Order: sequence, then structure tokens, then C-alpha cells
Amino acid sequence: MNLRRRFPFLACTALLLAACTPEEDASTTLNYGLTLAPTGIDPHLNASAELGIPLTSVYDTLVVQDPATGEILPGLAERWEVSADGRDYTFHLRDGVRFHDGTTFDAADVVANLDYTVNPDNHSQKAVFMLGPYELAEAVDASTVIIHLSQPFPPLLDSLAQVYLGMASPEALDAWGPAEYQFHQIGTGPYRFVEYVPYDHLTLEKNPDYAWAPQIYQQAGPYYDRIVFRFYEDPATRALALENGEVDVLGEIPPLEAERLDALPEFTLRPVAIPGQPMQFLFNTARPPTNDPEVRRALIEAVDRKAIVDTIFGEHSWVAEGPLSRNMWGYADGVSFPAYDPESAQRRLEQAGWILGDEGRRSRDGVPLSLTVVTPNWGNHPEVSQLLAAAWEAIGAEVQIETAPGFGLLKEASDQGDYSLIGINFFGTDPDLLRPMFTSSGLYNWMNVSDPALDAVLSQAATTAASQSDRQALYADAARAIRDQALILPIRDYVDLVVADNRAGGLAFSYQGWFPLLHDLHPGP
Amino acid sequence: MRRLGTGLLTLWAAVTFAFFALRLAAGDPISSLLSQGLASPEQADALRTSLGLDSPLPVQYLRFLGGLTRGELGRSLYTQRSVAATIAQQAGSTLRLAVAGLLVAAVVGLALGIAAGTFRTSLFGRTASSLAGFATAIPAALTCVLVLWAATSLAQSSPFLLPLTRSESLLLPALALGIASSGALARVIQSGLEDNFDAPYLLAARARGVQPGPRLIWHALRPVLPLAVSFLALEAALLLGGTVVTETVFARPGLGRLLVSSILIGDYPVVQGLVLLAAVVYTLTHVAADTLSAIIDPRLRPSA
Repeated sequence: MNLRRRFPFLACTALLLAACTPEEDASTTLNYGLTLAPTGIDPHLNASAELGIPLTSVYDTLVVQDPATGEILPGLAERWEVSADGRDYTFHLRDGVRFHDGTTFDAADVVANLDYTVNPDNHSQKAVFMLGPYELAEAVDASTVIIHLSQPFPPLLDSLAQVYLGMASPEALDAWGPAEYQFHQIGTGPYRFVEYVPYDHLTLEKNPDYAWAPQIYQQAGPYYDRIVFRFYEDPATRALALENGEVDVLGEIPPLEAERLDALPEFTLRPVAIPGQPMQFLFNTARPPTNDPEVRRALIEAVDRKAIVDTIFGEHSWVAEGPLSRNMWGYADGVSFPAYDPESAQRRLEQAGWILGDEGRRSRDGVPLSLTVVTPNWGNHPEVSQLLAAAWEAIGAEVQIETAPGFGLLKEASDQGDYSLIGINFFGTDPDLLRPMFTSSGLYNWMNVSDPALDAVLSQAATTAASQSDRQALYADAARAIRDQALILPIRDYVDLVVADNRAGGLAFSYQGWFPLLHDLHPGP
Repeated sequence: MRRLGTGLLTLWAAVTFAFFALRLAAGDPISSLLSQGLASPEQADALRTSLGLDSPLPVQYLRFLGGLTRGELGRSLYTQRSVAATIAQQAGSTLRLAVAGLLVAAVVGLALGIAAGTFRTSLFGRTASSLAGFATAIPAALTCVLVLWAATSLAQSSPFLLPLTRSESLLLPALALGIASSGALARVIQSGLEDNFDAPYLLAARARGVQPGPRLIWHALRPVLPLAVSFLALEAALLLGGTVVTETVFARPGLGRLLVSSILIGDYPVVQGLVLLAAVVYTLTHVAADTLSAIIDPRLRPSA
């Protein structure tokens, strides 16, 4: 009787307890935390950077990049030649490579992969653009493939080294089609794809047949049998997930939490510099007052960038000094932006006619010095914007901050054009990522810059430049032009604060920065 | 028949509102799709055309309604998967969370409400009443963080509790979600009980010799239950909103996460599908609440 009366309560308790029994956790399973739940994870079609964290180990690429220098090394292609006109790339493929489904990898598979990527019906969001002026690929024989371009495109090898152009089994691509393939991915890499449940988990298993590892890997073979990825979108919960043993590795830890965990014996903090553009604000050169280069210079000098970086990002970040971050090739050594000098900033504004009036506000011909800053709501942009506003108010400007939640709304604000500065940056390993932003017809020319000399430099660097050192020199010219015209306010080179426990020994990342070399993970510090 | 008509009208209004509100408020999905700076403006336009986003808004709307009448919700702009499959994959997790959360809300709300309504003059009753008020007042996001913080602090001294704080565990998210709804439920029960204890029929019951205690409380509680059930049903319909916060904080899969990320990237078809689902659930739970109330309270049954 008594028990019967209590039954509903007991039933509820049992239900709740049953629902929270933890999964079995073998010592050969590593748990890896991701910070964003990507929408779509087929690297050939989707654009997310997060998808590359697990999938870089599912696919091999024709060439690979040295994790430290970015040098292009053999991958599935043992060697390659580029024609004199820079339009034909011939790749000689390795023998004996098999996909996870048992089928053999050959030249026809390369052609099938590229066809899948460029097929307009598949709506590729990134990989197709990485191929640049791609025309077609042809298999000469089973182990030789030629990629034809309509014009020279030096970034091609860099593109082919990335997971977005990783080699998938054409049988699987055909069998599942573009909508379902993301749940059934088949590559040739050190880990095979087992299961993906969006927002929940993604599981990889060791590929026991992996005998064609490129030279970037240190260890003889993968150690962990299984690697399970979970998604932690709320930054406040990431440290907890590490501390309660739910994950062994997790990136994008907030700076204070990262330092706290680093002090504990069981955790190690790994700051990873991410190549690409630094966190930056673009000046709108088409709208007063920032159409005047002197005003732009004054606004740069008014900002103590080192103090901002120290305050918000702690000790693991560098102040950015150009349109590219310093850990990538193409970075112009010795080009630096004006240092903090508020007196000089005030003088410049005075000379440009912005006179200090009552209440410390500047104006010219009755028009107040008024700035509108459009800031993304991610990546600490809002906090940085607050500090920028304070610095500019101190030299007599009025500052309004508008926050754009999401990339779509940021793009919309840029289309409307009602801003003095707007925050945006892209990551990438080839400096050609400057082209869409700093050329007059670029899709992301939110500065409204139109400088034929800069257009020519950036276009030459991405097409006709013969060698990497030629390209390097051209990108240095571009960095100087961008600095001299004060087109951007660079803040900080991006550093991902990764915290790992002592099950994630050997943790290293690809040249691209976000993608771990899962092959080399093993127990130990 | 009339109810069916009203229901369909509600659904139409909901999806229409979602269709236009999203397109006016959220950004251009193509710029989100191509957030890597690689495509040229011409390539972006080509993608827009092939996804059917270049036709005028009324044309897109009619196409969308036409699809709905054929039972098609369309495809995600990002993954090209059917919206139905995308939602179905996430629904199970949210359903489990919602059911567990409702259980917590019912148990906690009932307990607090009875305590507050029966012992209204004692310290015990007043404490229960304040707790109910507190549970109503604190925002869901804070409840989640408080529950997580409390559990983590406990687990630090008693490590065997650690598994409960992991994201696979249903207990903490259900507590957080349930507590938020329990306060209002307790209020409903409390005020109903207070009214009924003063009602003549209870005086009559006492006169018949029903002793103060469980039986008397049952007498007073029974007329309140239909209200409580309708209230819980309403809460069930609103739970999709509550799971948005709970799922994000506790890193659980589910419809709430899907909704937020789909809105942020402008994946209209998925958001429209979710709004339609929410409207269907809302309509159905209302019907279910009416039916349940009639079972519990014979006065509400249509007279034979």
C-alpha cells in the first residue's frame, strides 16, 4: 500500500536516474570538445572551420603543409609538376592507398572528387572557390592526374592541402548524394568516420590499415581507438567540461579560465596562433569623417592597442601590426602601424579643422566629430569596441557602437554603409585572402577603397607572380600601402587558447591552426 | 469542425509571420553561407539563383505555401537535407528533456502549491510561497547556471556526483527547465486551494466529519486540478522556448539549438519548419488540455 502510493515518485526518480547513466569510457577513447556546432559538415560543400577539426584526420589530401612553415609537402601525390605558363598541375599519385570502404584510390577518383566539388547543383560554399580559375581535371593513367586552370593561380597547392579538397570515395559520394553524404563520409585518412549526430556528437575510429602517412606525422600510427567530439557553444561551460572529465581537449577557453586551468597539475594550456587576418576594424573611406586619411591616422594614434590586448586577451596575444597575422608567410616584417600617441592624434585633428569646443567635443564647421562603429557580436569584438570608444571620446569624438549578431547582419550593415568603422576578419593560410577585401571590386571591400596600384599588386600576387618570394614582396608592398593610407585599425593576432589534460600528449596543430593532428595524440603530458 | 478551422488558421498565421519576419529581420543567407571571403559577387549571385532566393518575396511565399499543402517543408539552405529529416533528428532529445522537465515542474509545483495553500499562516507555508515566487521570478538562463553551479560545487566534495554534471545527464537540465515552470504552477494551485478552503462545500465536508489532513486537502485540491492541467499543457507548448537556453547551457542536442543556429545563419526553411512544429504542438496541447480537464472534472464534460 505504502509502496503503491509512492510509486509515481519512485517511477520519476528511476526515470531521471536511468536517463543519466554515463556511457562506458574506455582508456582508448579520447574526448575532444568543439566550440561550435557546424551546420553541415561535408568539407567539399560546407564552409565551417569547425568541421575540419575532426575531418582533417578522415581525409588525406594530394599535398600537405608543414605544420610550422607552411611548406608544401607530398601527400597522396608523391610529386607534382607545374607547367611553365602556371596553368597545368600534374600530380603523380602514391600506390596502395585504400579508402575506408576498401576501394582503391586512383587518378579517376581525384577527377570524381573535383567534379563533385565544382558541380553547381551541389552548392559548394567554400571548396569550389578555393579552386580559383579551375577548368577541369583529367586522369592520364591510374596514377597521374592533370588539373587545368584557365589562368595561373599560385594559391592552388595551398588549397589542395586543405580538408575542403580532401579525397573522398566517389562510390560513397554517389551512393549518398550531397544531402546525406555528410553522415557517411569515407576518406583514406588515419581515422574513419563512424557517426555524426548534429549538436550531440561525432565519432571517429582508428583506421588500422593506414600505411601512407605523410611525413608531417611523428608517431608510427594513431594511438586512440576512438575519438568522440562534442559541442560546447556556451564559453562559460567549457572549463567545467574539462574539469568534470567530460573532454580531454577543448579550445577557445576564455583567457581567465585558461590561466586558472593551466595552474592545475592535470591541465596544460596550449596557445595556438591562427594564420589569417588579425582582429581588425576597417575604416569607411567613403563617408565623413573617416574619408580623411588624417582623421584615420589620428584615430589609430589615439588607441593604446597594447593596453587593449592586455586587458581583454591577457598575456597570450600579440598586438597586430598589419593586414596579416605574423605567423603566416606573406606577413610584412618591419611594417608597423602608428604607436599610441594621443598628443599627436589631437594635433592631427586640430590641423584637419576639427576644433575642440565646449564639453571637450570636437567639431568642424558646426558638424560634430561623430563616429559609428559596427561590431560583430562574437570574438570579443564588443568589448574591444567599448575600449576604442573610450579612447576616441578622450580626444573629443562622439562614438556610437552598433552590434551585429551574426555574419548575415554584419554584411547587411556593410551594404547600408552607415558606419565609420566595421569589424571583420577572415582566417586562411594563403595571403590571397586580402584580395576580396582590399581590391576595389572585392566582395568584402567594406572600406570602399579604390586604389588601382593596390588592385594591381594584389592581383599580380595571386596570378602571375612566379615564385613564393615574388609573392612575399608583393604582399609586403600591399601591407605598406594599407598602413600608409590608414585603411584598417589592426588589434590583435588571433590566438586560440586550447586546454588539454594529460591524456592528450603530442597535441599539435596543422599550419592552418584550428585543425589538430589526431594521428599523433597519445597518453602523457 | 470549428476547432479544426481555428487550428488551421492559427498554423497559417504562424508560418506566414515566420516567413516574413525572418526575411525582414535576419540577414542575407548567402552572405552567411559564403563567410570566408572567397567567392566573387557573380558567384554569390549564381548561388542565390540556384537556391531560388532571387525571386520576389511574394513568389517565394506562394512557392512555400504550395510546398506546405503538399506536405513539403523544403530543404535546408546549408546542408540541402530535407527540413523534416533535420528536425526529426533533433526532436527526440528535446522531447525527453521536455517530458522530464514537465515531470519536475508537476512534482515541484504541486508540492510547493499544496504546502503554500494549506499551511498559509505558518512559516512552512510562507517559505513555500516565497520559493514559488522566486522560481517564477528568476530568468531561465540564470536557473540553468545556478543549477549547474550548485551541482558542480556539490560534486567537488562528492566526486560520485560528477557524472550528473556531464552533458549526457538529463537530471540537471530537467531540473533547470522544470523549476522555471514550477513556480507559476504552484501559484495556480495555491490560490485555488486558498479559495476552496473558504468555500461552503468544504465547510459542509468538515461538518460531515472529514478530518483535516490528506482527505480534506484532496477535497479542496480536486477542483483546482483542471486548471493546473491546462496550465501545464500551456507550459508544455512553451517548452520549446525554454529548451533554447537549457540546451545551449547544458550542451545538449535538440530543437532549441537547431532553432538558434538556424536563425543566426538565416536558414529560413529550417526555422519555418520549427515554427510550424511549435504551432502544431501548441494547438494539439490545447485540445489535449481540454480533454484531460473534462476527464478530471465531470462538470466540464459536455452534457449528454
